[in-house]
Amino acid sequence: MSPRRRFAAIALWWLVLALAAFGVQRTLVVGNDLRGFLPPPRNADQKVLMDEIGDGPASRLLLMAISGAPAERLADLSRGLVQALRGDARFTQVFDGGESVAQLDPALLPYRYLLSPTLDRAQFDAAFLHDQLEQRIEDLGSPAGAALGEILSRDPTLETLALAQRWTPRHAPVLRDGVWFSARGEALLIAATRASGLDAAAQSNASAAVRAAFTALPDAASAKIEISGPGYIGAQVAANTRAEAERLSAIGTAGFALLLLIAYRSWSVLALVALPLASGALAGLAAIIAIFGGAHGITLAFGFTLLGVAQEYPVRVFSHRAAAETAAETVRAVWPLLRLAIVSACIAYLAFLVSGVPGLQQLAVFTIVALLVAGFATRWLLPALLPEKFRDVESSPLMQRAHRWLAAMPRPRALPWVALALGLLALWFAPAPLWQNDLAALAPAPAKELARESELRAALGAPDVRYLLVLHANSADGVLRLAEAISPQVDKWISTHAVDDVELPSRWLPSLETQRGRQARLPDRAALTTALDAALADVPFKPGYFAPFLDDVAAARGLPPLDAQTFERSPFGARLAAMLIERDGAWYGLATLDGVHDPAALAGIAAQTQGAVKLLDLKSESEALVAQYRMRILQALGVAFVLLVLAVGLAFRDWHRAWHVLAPMTLATLLAIAVLRACGVPLSLFHLVAVTLAAGLGLHYALFFERPVADAAEARRTLHATLVCVAAAVLVFGLLATSAVPVLRAIGATVALGVSFHFILSTQMAMRADDAR
Amino acid sequence: MFLPALILLAATSSQTPDAAALIASLKRPVPATTAYTEVRFLHQLTRPLVLHGELDYGGANKLGKRVDAPYRESTQVEGDGVTVTRDGRAPRHFDLERAPELKVLMGGFSALLGGDANALTSLYTIALVDNAPNWTLTLVPRDAGLSKHLREFVIDGTAADPRCFSLQQANGDSSVMLLGALAATTLPQPPTSAALAAICRATQ
Repeated sequence: MSPRRRFAAIALWWLVLALAAFGVQRTLVVGNDLRGFLPPPRNADQKVLMDEIGDGPASRLLLMAISGAPAERLADLSRGLVQALRGDARFTQVFDGGESVAQLDPALLPYRYLLSPTLDRAQFDAAFLHDQLEQRIEDLGSPAGAALGEILSRDPTLETLALAQRWTPRHAPVLRDGVWFSARGEALLIAATRASGLDAAAQSNASAAVRAAFTALPDAASAKIEISGPGYIGAQVAANTRAEAERLSAIGTAGFALLLLIAYRSWSVLALVALPLASGALAGLAAIIAIFGGAHGITLAFGFTLLGVAQEYPVRVFSHRAAAETAAETVRAVWPLLRLAIVSACIAYLAFLVSGVPGLQQLAVFTIVALLVAGFATRWLLPALLPEKFRDVESSPLMQRAHRWLAAMPRPRALPWVALALGLLALWFAPAPLWQNDLAALAPAPAKELARESELRAALGAPDVRYLLVLHANSADGVLRLAEAISPQVDKWISTHAVDDVELPSRWLPSLETQRGRQARLPDRAALTTALDAALADVPFKPGYFAPFLDDVAAARGLPPLDAQTFERSPFGARLAAMLIERDGAWYGLATLDGVHDPAALAGIAAQTQGAVKLLDLKSESEALVAQYRMRILQALGVAFVLLVLAVGLAFRDWHRAWHVLAPMTLATLLAIAVLRACGVPLSLFHLVAVTLAAGLGLHYALFFERPVADAAEARRTLHATLVCVAAAVLVFGLLATSAVPVLRAIGATVALGVSFHFILSTQMAMRADDAR
Repeated sequence: MFLPALILLAATSSQTPDAAALIASLKRPVPATTAYTEVRFLHQLTRPLVLHGELDYGGANKLGKRVDAPYRESTQVEGDGVTVTRDGRAPRHFDLERAPELKVLMGGFSALLGGDANALTSLYTIALVDNAPNWTLTLVPRDAGLSKHLREFVIDGTAADPRCFSLQQANGDSSVMLLGALAATTLPQPPTSAALAAICRATQ
C-alpha cells in the first residue's frame, strides 16, 4: 500500500470511529446507580429497600441559604426562588417556611375538625367553648393577638393553629418576614428533587437550575446563594473525581505517546496504536446498547479499566516485527499466542455473564465484545496499515544488554515458594478490616462541605439521611392506622431523647377511622348553637359573629373522611405523597427521622410490631449490598480463573507449560493483594477490578516469555514488547496512584504494583532460560 | 412686668423645639417601669376591652407587658422572640415578626425611651403638635408592610413625660394606653375614643 493510501486508510478508520463514537454517545444512557448492579429485587420489601437506598426522601433534598443582603431583601429573594422552582418539573417540593394553613383550599378548611386532634380530648360543649372564648378575648387583648385575624369567626377554637403547629417540624427555623431564617441571618430554603440523590448528572442539573432561577430574580446580584445536600455533594465529588482522573489520564497518555516514540522512532505507530482499543471500546458500547439499552456508569468505568489489556495487542505486533518481515508475516507469527490470550480472557469473562447480576453481565458483554473486536482489528486491519519500512527493535544495543542481563539472572527454584509463604503470612497478619464496604469513603466529600451540610440540615430541621422508619400495611389507610398505633411509642422515644423528631405520615393525615371518630363527636347545628349561646353569655363577642363557625362544623359533620389521594392534591399533599408509596399492591409509609441518638432503641420497634414497622439503616443496608455484590464478583472471578486454567491447559495440551504461564500470574496477583493488605489497605470492588486487569496483562507477559522462539533475536523482541507494555502500564497507573482521591489511588496503585509483580515473576518463572544463548 | 414675660418667652422657646429635640428629652434610664390602663376598641366585640397592668422597658429590644386585670398575662419581648405566659398554661413562644402590633410598640418604646429620634424618623414620618406644655407626636409608618397593619401611632405627653400611646390599626380597631399617673384615672362608662383623647390631652 502506498504511503498516501495508507494515510488515507488510517484517516478513514479514525473517521469511522469518530462517527461511531458520535452515534454511541447519542444513544447511550448511563446510569450512575449502584443499585443497577445488584441482583433484581425478588419481593416488594426488597424493592422498597432498593428504592430508598441512596434515593430516600432525605437524600433528594437540596438545602439552600441566601445571604449578603438585608433581611427583607433576602425574604423577597427566597419567595421569588420558591415561586420559580415550584414551576420546575425537576423539583417535587420547595419550601421556605412561607406556607401556612391559610393556603389550604377553602373547601378543605372544614376538614380541620377531622384532622386536628382537639376532638380526641374535648367536646364542643358550653364549658369547653366558654373557656376557648375567654382565651380568645385574652388573645384579642394581647398585642400578640393580631395574628388571629379574620379566621377567628370561622375558627374560635383555633384548629388551624393546632394544625399549623402539628405540621411544623419540631426544629423548624425561625420565621422572619414570613420565611425561614438561620441564626446567622441567612434565608433558608429546602427543595426535593424528582431525580434520585445518586443520579449525579440530574443532581448537578438541579443545582444549576436553582442557580439559574436565583440569578434571574430581580436584584439577585446583591445577594448570594449557597447550595448543599447529599445529592449536590455527591455530584460535586463525582465531577471532581472525573476531572482528576481526566487530568492524570491526559498526562499518562502524553507519557505513553513519548514512550512509543522512543521505543519505535515512528510517528505512524502513534496514529495506529490506539485504533484497535478504540474500535473495541466502541463495539463493546454498541453491544451493551443493543442488548441492555443502556449502561451503568460503574460498568463503563470497570469495563474501560479491564480493556487496558487490549492496548498490548498492537504493541506486540510493533515489537515483534523482524527487519525482513512484512507486517502480515509478523502478525501471523504472533497471532496464535495473541488469540490464545484473547480467547481465554473471553472464556474467563463468560463467568460474569452467567452471574445473574445485570451490572456484571453488562461488564462481560462489553469486555468480551471489545476484546474480540480489538483482537480482530489487530489481526486483520492493522497489518495493512503499517509502514513497509520498520526498525527491528532487537538490534538495539540496549535491548541486547537488557536481555543478556535478564537471561543470566539467577532463578532460585525456592524463590516462588518463599514469595508465596511471605504473601500468605502478610495476608494472615494484615490489619483489619479486610473489606471496604463504604463506597463513599473511596471518594470522600471535602470536610468543609460536609460540615456546612450538617449545619444547614440542623438549621432546617431536615431529616436524617441515614435512618428511615418503614411502615408496611396493605392499604394507604392501613399505613396511617399503623402510624397512629406507634405514635405513643414515638412520643416516648422523643421524650427519652432516642430521637429528636419523627415525621409520621399520620402527622399529615389521620386514618379514616380516627377522622370518623372525631366527626362523630361534632355536635349538630342545634346543639352547637345552644352551647355557643351559653358560652357567649358573659363574653362580649358581637351577636352572630361566629356564624361561619357554625357553618363549618355543620359542613364537617357531613364530609366524607379525607383520603390520602384527595389530601395529596392539596398544597401540603406533596409531603404526604413522598411518604406513602405503593409497590405491587403493598403499601409502605416512610417516616423520616431527625437527630437519631439511639438507633438500637428505635430498631426495637420491629419486634413490637411483628415486623410491620422497621428501622432502615440505609448506610448499613447499602454496605450489605456492596458486600453481597462483592461476593458475586468474587464468585465470578473464581469461576473465571478456573475457566482460564482450563482454556490455557487445553490450548497447550501440556500442563507443564500451562503451569509456567499460570503460576507466575497467580502468585503475582496474590503478592499484589498481600502488599496492599500489609500496608493496611481494606480492599474494595475497585481493587478487585484493578487486580483483574493486572492479571490479564500478566497473562500476556507469561505467555510471550514462555513462547518457544527460533532465536535470541526473537526473544529480544519479546522482551522489548513486554518492557514497552510494562512501562506503559506502570506510567499510566502509577500516575493515578499519585492522586489524592482514594478510588483513583486504589486502581492506580493496585495495577502498577500488580504489573510489576507480574513482570518480575514472569521473568523468573515463565521466561525460558535457554533463550539466553 | 417684663420678667414674667421673659420667663414665659424663655420657657416657650425651650418648650417648642422640633420633634427630634422633644424625643431626645424623653430619654429614660433603664429599666423604666410604668403602670398603664389600656382600652382596646375591637370590631369583634360589643364593648371595649379594658386592661390594667405594668409596662417594663429593659433597654433596647427588651420589653415586658404585664396584664394584672381582668386576667393575668405576661408578654416578654427579647430580641426577636416573644414569650406569652398565662396563668395555668404553658408559655407560648413565637417570633416578633408574627405580632406586628407588638413590634411597633417595641420599636416605639426603644426609640422614645432611648431618646433616639433618628430611629423613629427612619420608620415613621413624624408630625409634632405643640400646645406647651402638652404635645402630640403623630407617627405614620413609612414601610408599606407595616402600614398594612398600622395606620398611625400617636403619643401624647406633657413636658418630658409621655402620657398616652394610641395605636390606630388599619382594620379600624384601635387601642389607647394611659401611662403612669393617668393609669389611675377613672374611665367613663363605657369608655369612648373621644373621652380618652380628652383625658390624654387635658392640661394638668
